Amino acid sequence: MSRIFKAIKSVLGLAVSKPMTFSFPPDMPLTELYRGRQLYKPELCKGCKICANVCPNNAIQMLEREKSEENKTGLQPQIDFRKCCFCGLCVDNCPTGALSFTNFPILLTMKPETLNYTPEMLAVPPTLEHPEAPKIKNTVSWARSRSIWIVNYMTGCCFIEAVPWVASSFDMERFGLLAVGSPRHADALLVGGYVTPKTLKRIIRIYSLMPQPKWVIALGNCPMTGGTYWDSYNTIKDISKYIPVDIWIAGCPPRPEPIGVAVVHAIQAIQGGYLGKEEKTDTDAGKMEVSPYPLLGADANKTEFDMVFGSQHPASGNFNMALKLDGEIIVDAIPYPGYLHRGFEKLMEYRTWLQNIMLVPRICVLDGASYELAYSGVTEKLAGIQVPIRGQYLRVVQAELSRIQSHLMNLGFGGAATGFDTIERLIWGDRDQVLLLLEELTGARIYHIFNTIGGVRRDIQPDFQQKAEQLIHFLRERLQTYDNLLIHNKTFIDRTEGLGILSKETAIQNDVTGPNLRASGVDFDIRTATPYEAYQEVGINTVTATKGDAYHRFLCRRLEIEESLNIIEHALDQLPSGPVCETKTPEDKKITWRLKIPAGEAFHCIEAGRGELCFHAISTGENTPYRIKVRGPTFGTILVMFPKLLHGMKIADVPVTYWSLDQCPADHDR
Amino acid sequence: MKDKALELTAFSTALKSHYALSEFEIRENLLTLTTDTTTYVDLSTYLKDQGFSRCLTVAVIDWIDQGEFEIYYVVHHLESNIYVKVATRIARSKPAITSLSTIWKSATMHEREMWELFGVNFVGNTMLKPLFLENWTEKPPLRKDFNWHTYVDKEYFKAREK
Repeated sequence: MSRIFKAIKSVLGLAVSKPMTFSFPPDMPLTELYRGRQLYKPELCKGCKICANVCPNNAIQMLEREKSEENKTGLQPQIDFRKCCFCGLCVDNCPTGALSFTNFPILLTMKPETLNYTPEMLAVPPTLEHPEAPKIKNTVSWARSRSIWIVNYMTGCCFIEAVPWVASSFDMERFGLLAVGSPRHADALLVGGYVTPKTLKRIIRIYSLMPQPKWVIALGNCPMTGGTYWDSYNTIKDISKYIPVDIWIAGCPPRPEPIGVAVVHAIQAIQGGYLGKEEKTDTDAGKMEVSPYPLLGADANKTEFDMVFGSQHPASGNFNMALKLDGEIIVDAIPYPGYLHRGFEKLMEYRTWLQNIMLVPRICVLDGASYELAYSGVTEKLAGIQVPIRGQYLRVVQAELSRIQSHLMNLGFGGAATGFDTIERLIWGDRDQVLLLLEELTGARIYHIFNTIGGVRRDIQPDFQQKAEQLIHFLRERLQTYDNLLIHNKTFIDRTEGLGILSKETAIQNDVTGPNLRASGVDFDIRTATPYEAYQEVGINTVTATKGDAYHRFLCRRLEIEESLNIIEHALDQLPSGPVCETKTPEDKKITWRLKIPAGEAFHCIEAGRGELCFHAISTGENTPYRIKVRGPTFGTILVMFPKLLHGMKIADVPVTYWSLDQCPADHDR
Repeated sequence: MKDKALELTAFSTALKSHYALSEFEIRENLLTLTTDTTTYVDLSTYLKDQGFSRCLTVAVIDWIDQGEFEIYYVVHHLESNIYVKVATRIARSKPAITSLSTIWKSATMHEREMWELFGVNFVGNTMLKPLFLENWTEKPPLRKDFNWHTYVDKEYFKAREK
């Protein structure tokens, strides 16, 4: 009874508290530090070409301009925002400060070529200009513009920034937008980031199933030029070769605001009668051969049948499984991954050791900070660099904030999979507050690129501690609300308890790690078992549960959020003074982007949000790695354990079990 | 912590006396062993019996200049928190090695990935089918002699001119 009262109290509390939704536009929750569009000061430029050389995406070209006293070569940079990932290497390495960041995030266009900014365009400080809204053509076009339904297909990384639009923080429903599962009900397709050949066929299929008129919005750089994966053997470089795209949004990933601006532009155009580009699918551009699904051979004479689960399903991520069903009971299941395979281990072999830090967080968009941390750790181990203690503490703060946002994301998915949409929206809205604090710390929301070889890139701002305290206080209160509405909710408990039970032994044998393993009663956490960075000094209490079912996995994550808050609090309380980054190697060489790492190998494991993440790096003394092996936490959990766990389960239990294991398809596909 | 360190030393001494190991190194809690292909397989059974129940990965390094593939696996002992990495080398021209899939269940999928990305055959693994790539007809992409540059150019940029 008291639980019901608590839940009612929480709901009433939410009803009277200030709404979480950001007004839109113009009040953008944006920090000064955000790495947005670059600003170029020609009078400071020496024409040294360092920015062009250091860019991991080849986004900077040097154009010939007039020679002068300061700029003897006369070369000035042109930045192609179809390729730029806003990592900040160019700004960091610019010797004179001619290139700097503004916090302007909105770069969108209907013609991608206009995103190639000449030095003259870069010198003009950015401003936001809204096109004049055309007249409403007729009632139909007005009505159409106010209810754009977007098909739900989580393509790649950029989709993470469409998530806040589902949440209470950005709330797309105020624009009349709705995410729908069926392409036949959809008006707009959101291509969220990189497209692999496997994904491409699904996109084309979804596109051709959508009724007329239809619009396509492409998020991020990868659909335009390949973006960060310009050299990957498994991503499509230009999606417009296959289907027409109406609006392109640049960024890596773009913030939620440009997506909103794009939607506003779309609404205006549609009410003026714009019906999208002419429908066409061009399949001549290659990569269209489809290999058959690995079906499990159901016996049609019995009550068995084959079913493909995913990849276009809100509960699957961009991942797919072949199921053999008997009625609604799953008899057999095999995974069919590869929708997000970009070949990271190959890409890392021809970027320098430092440039790779810009690449690694992209392995898993849901918890990028851990990958930065693990990669920097393995490189430092190999080079024998000791990170200053303050740098280690800041890394802990970043990693824990990232863990919190990853767990919040998962709790939201847990809510969504069990039918608690309110919880999903509420939690994801709160997650945006964590992302804002991460931006305060690092300069970016998703791909922070805060770490560098030797430490972290910048010290905290003077008011960071205070803001962090506010957030910790806010989240602690909110956790009570989640408890009242979700964790202690009898409906949720009944739905998840006893579902997908993982025994201790099975979990260990199938290489399940992280919160999933701890929920099965194994007290193993790398942060305490093999402490790295400043975890030993800060101290942590691991969270374990005994039953190993879906409920306890969610519960473990919920409790870990609390523990992470404690860790951040401790770390900021005891934050030591001193430098945040080592600038020299033990051999007294300066750490630059072309640093050569001594020959040898190193193996480094950390506790990511999803479990044990290991990097194995081999150097032959060059400035690029010879081989990097990434051992992601979800590889065993999802590709090995999950299909076995499904045996005997009902089809409706798949999404709940799936999200209780906290999946990240990008992590196991790499 | 001291007890675990002791165990590691005792364990490594026992290992050294039993098996032919060409290279042997202890760094923190990671034991790195290099050995021949027979011992690579023998060791896996031994390690499993010793309680190394988690197989973190099976991976390949392409040493193209020496004409060899290095195959290694990393296993973990949960109770004493010891990692062991066992590596061996096979000729690049005959890339085949015994599978560990019967010993560690999780090795199966890692071997399948390596089979696809490096073209190394794991004898005894029944799951050697494409995992990530679709209709891949070129050289396995993670091999050092796979020329990504020509491939990306041919497949993605010049596809229309074909």
